[in-house]
Amino acid sequence: MATVAEALEYRGKSIEFPLEYPEENDIPDEELHEHLARPSTERTKKLKARCRWKHASAGEFVEKGVTSGIQRMRFITEAHRASDGKPEVIRRALGLANILNKYTLVLQQDEFIIGYHAEDPNMFPLYPELAYMAVADYLISDYAPQPVDEATEIMEYWKPYSMQGKCEGYFDPEDLMRMYQVSTMEAPGFATGYNSVVPPYETVLEDGLLKRIEMAEANIKKAKEAMAETPWDATKGLKWIDKIDNWEAMVIADKAVIAWARRHARLAKIVAENFETDPKRKEELLEISEINHRVPAEPCKGLKDAFQAKWYVFMVCHAIDRYASGFAQTEDAMLFPYYKASVIEKAFQPMTHADAIEWVEMERLKISEHGAGKSRAYREIFPGSNDLFILTVGGTKADGSDACNEMTDAILEATRNIRTTEPSILFRYSKIGREKTKRLVFGCIRDGLGYPSIKHEEIALEQLKYYSQFSKEGNGATDEETHSWANVLCMSPGLTGRRKTQKTRSEGGGSIFPAKILEVALNDGYDWSYADMQLGPKTGKSENLKTFEELWEAFKVQYQYATSLVIRCKDVMRHFEGRYLQMPFVSSIDDGCMELGRDACELSEQPNGWHNPITTVVAANSMVAIKKLIYDDKKYTMGQLMDALKANWEGHEEMHKDFKNAPKWGNDDEYADTIIKDFYEDIIGGEMRRITNYSGGPVLPVGQAVGLYMEIGSRTGPTPDGRFGGEAADDGGISPYMGTDHKGPTAVLRSVSKVQKNQKANLLNQRLSVPIMRSKHGFAIWHAYMDTWHDLNIDHVQFNVVSTAEMKAAQKEPERHQDLIVRVAGFSARFVDIPTYGQNTIIARNEQQFGAEDLEYLNVNL
Amino acid sequence: MSKCGECALFFQVPDDADDFEPGKADCVTEIKDEKGKYWLSKPVFDNMKACGTFKKA
Repeated sequence: MATVAEALEYRGKSIEFPLEYPEENDIPDEELHEHLARPSTERTKKLKARCRWKHASAGEFVEKGVTSGIQRMRFITEAHRASDGKPEVIRRALGLANILNKYTLVLQQDEFIIGYHAEDPNMFPLYPELAYMAVADYLISDYAPQPVDEATEIMEYWKPYSMQGKCEGYFDPEDLMRMYQVSTMEAPGFATGYNSVVPPYETVLEDGLLKRIEMAEANIKKAKEAMAETPWDATKGLKWIDKIDNWEAMVIADKAVIAWARRHARLAKIVAENFETDPKRKEELLEISEINHRVPAEPCKGLKDAFQAKWYVFMVCHAIDRYASGFAQTEDAMLFPYYKASVIEKAFQPMTHADAIEWVEMERLKISEHGAGKSRAYREIFPGSNDLFILTVGGTKADGSDACNEMTDAILEATRNIRTTEPSILFRYSKIGREKTKRLVFGCIRDGLGYPSIKHEEIALEQLKYYSQFSKEGNGATDEETHSWANVLCMSPGLTGRRKTQKTRSEGGGSIFPAKILEVALNDGYDWSYADMQLGPKTGKSENLKTFEELWEAFKVQYQYATSLVIRCKDVMRHFEGRYLQMPFVSSIDDGCMELGRDACELSEQPNGWHNPITTVVAANSMVAIKKLIYDDKKYTMGQLMDALKANWEGHEEMHKDFKNAPKWGNDDEYADTIIKDFYEDIIGGEMRRITNYSGGPVLPVGQAVGLYMEIGSRTGPTPDGRFGGEAADDGGISPYMGTDHKGPTAVLRSVSKVQKNQKANLLNQRLSVPIMRSKHGFAIWHAYMDTWHDLNIDHVQFNVVSTAEMKAAQKEPERHQDLIVRVAGFSARFVDIPTYGQNTIIARNEQQFGAEDLEYLNVNL
Repeated sequence: MSKCGECALFFQVPDDADDFEPGKADCVTEIKDEKGKYWLSKPVFDNMKACGTFKKA
């Protein structure tokens, strides 16, 4: 039997919490999630059952047979060798063209959206031109591309040409070695090859690539005419050279993409006419062929066109031209014109709303089997998932009205039906948003998907306006354009649309780890517990820090050192990306690059600088404990604390208890919250914003943990908040440390709302009571909670609605819990694919109940 | 020695295709594994040496 929440007295009434769906009374808590999937058609049921998941667990792929392919690295290398002497941007275009022209294509049974980014659906490509370390990592693994000798030779070839080879020389090797520890700082992007991009999908859907080619060719013609003008003026005329190269590269790239899509069209036709025996599928394959011949060359006319064209753009931008995590887009707004054409007006590719839902389900399954050639470290930090695929829906239109539409609803309905870990969804929450859509958002959350995660619409709008003032081009986002924002990855808003989108992670992304920085700050910059080396500047032994302010300053110096270094790495990489890692296809579909003849990596119209502090709450709680017990109460000395930490608290049990019981974040505690608010605003954000990045704007913190709270926790020694060495750190960006928030959900909101200054985003993980959320009052309580959250001006929140009983049952019998999904931090994961260490951190999160005081604070009408 | 051009899986690229080259074709093969069926298409030329999946046309 399902657990039902106990009745409570509220506003003079006894409130009962019967389940909203009475049939769920017979489903035991231990197996609820296994009853919630409902693929809408036989096709999507089959596609899900045969999905080639690329989930990783503890850095290993979960499914047998997943491995890296060699074709991409072979073909890009072949083109690079053959194009020596040509302009670099042309070489990049020829590299992409050679891959697309020679790539083996894949068409799978039952699918309607076709195309894959490697030579076999069980494979994923590698990127030797980015980072040789990331390739070397594969060569010594079970997932090595075959033949290994050829792959090794390719990797060696690229060493001097790769981003890593280009950038390393501009850094002190000691600094790089500190970064490669990935304990105070994430390793530089030029060593990991990790990227994120927001492709301007809209130009492809609206214009088609043939038109983009025409535009580039017209620009080349004009440029050549301008160069031929007399009298010659070198100050103007020479500027056309780079532009002409960029436009020519765009033409090469776009022609290659069209030819590649049309090869897919031929494949579908060949299979229909020579292999397929089912007449219905035959007909479908011929339709697929027709669609793929037409798009992305021509503008999309219906919803099927739009899904297919979007898929091609995704594959090129995220997996074939270079690797990039993410699935950033405002999908509902982008697809609505095609939904309207197909579902409402039935003008082209006529279908019903239910058909549109099936298409969303199919897209979600395509993403679920999209493999990413990430290094082992990056596979480890996304346990139980594939990669960070996150799309955005909801929000407001440029005129301020509600942006939700029928496509928003189709996306949410499909998401709830098909039940996959990816892609995750971000919902832009505005109080004017329609209740119908919010109920669908709630439906996904209540079913335990862990998403949509929610962001505050108006905070994001203001943030994009703020950044736009720093545009070096004087062309940042207009007020109208800010309304088309989406999360670039899991937390940070950026523009979507026809131009000004973020093209590279060197703008925003990458992590820094305050908990470990505090550890080294307490040890004169030395890491005694993990790397046994100097990890930062010498800021003095903690025993000599006579006041709390001196400790604060020591931390600040360590933090500034690490922050400046990580952002310098990104900007140096950006410098070289614009010269050697141009993205002519992305440039061709960006209106700014097209107009100006500039490369997507080099051109920055809208600054969006951010970096991710992860493990901030462990550091902040530690600061609180030190201030209270050492500097205020003087119960212990710093020397005693250092002895206890070096002993991992062993033999110092009383002291451990005191430090563990010191005030903690998330309880609306004035003592703790005052210090922690200052920690966030003065150091984490205040120090970071002193930095100016490539785009001319400040860099602001985006606190979000992904799976790094586990990885960094395991590399961080014991901390003064009472944590033992090696234990996981805090799981959000501003979430209370697991199990330390004792005052209920509204106390958490009040604490979090105190941090307002110098932040770009902060991830708040909350775990809500399953019986309350599944009760008939679930939506009313959640809705009131969300409106209060909005009123408190909090940036973000995401939820786990999953019972401890079910998670424990899954630990015992994983094979019976394949559909159990949990929110880790910024992404959702299949619970049984998370290592036990990580599973336990989810179980340890406080399951928030709602008492009468909470309901009163939320002003819920029941 | 058999050539790709003699194979039943050799599908000539139409001469109005973007990637047309004389003698160029799509080599389309059907694969079946525990997850289901899928088809692969590789660009080949008629005079290339046939591979292990050669099927006389």
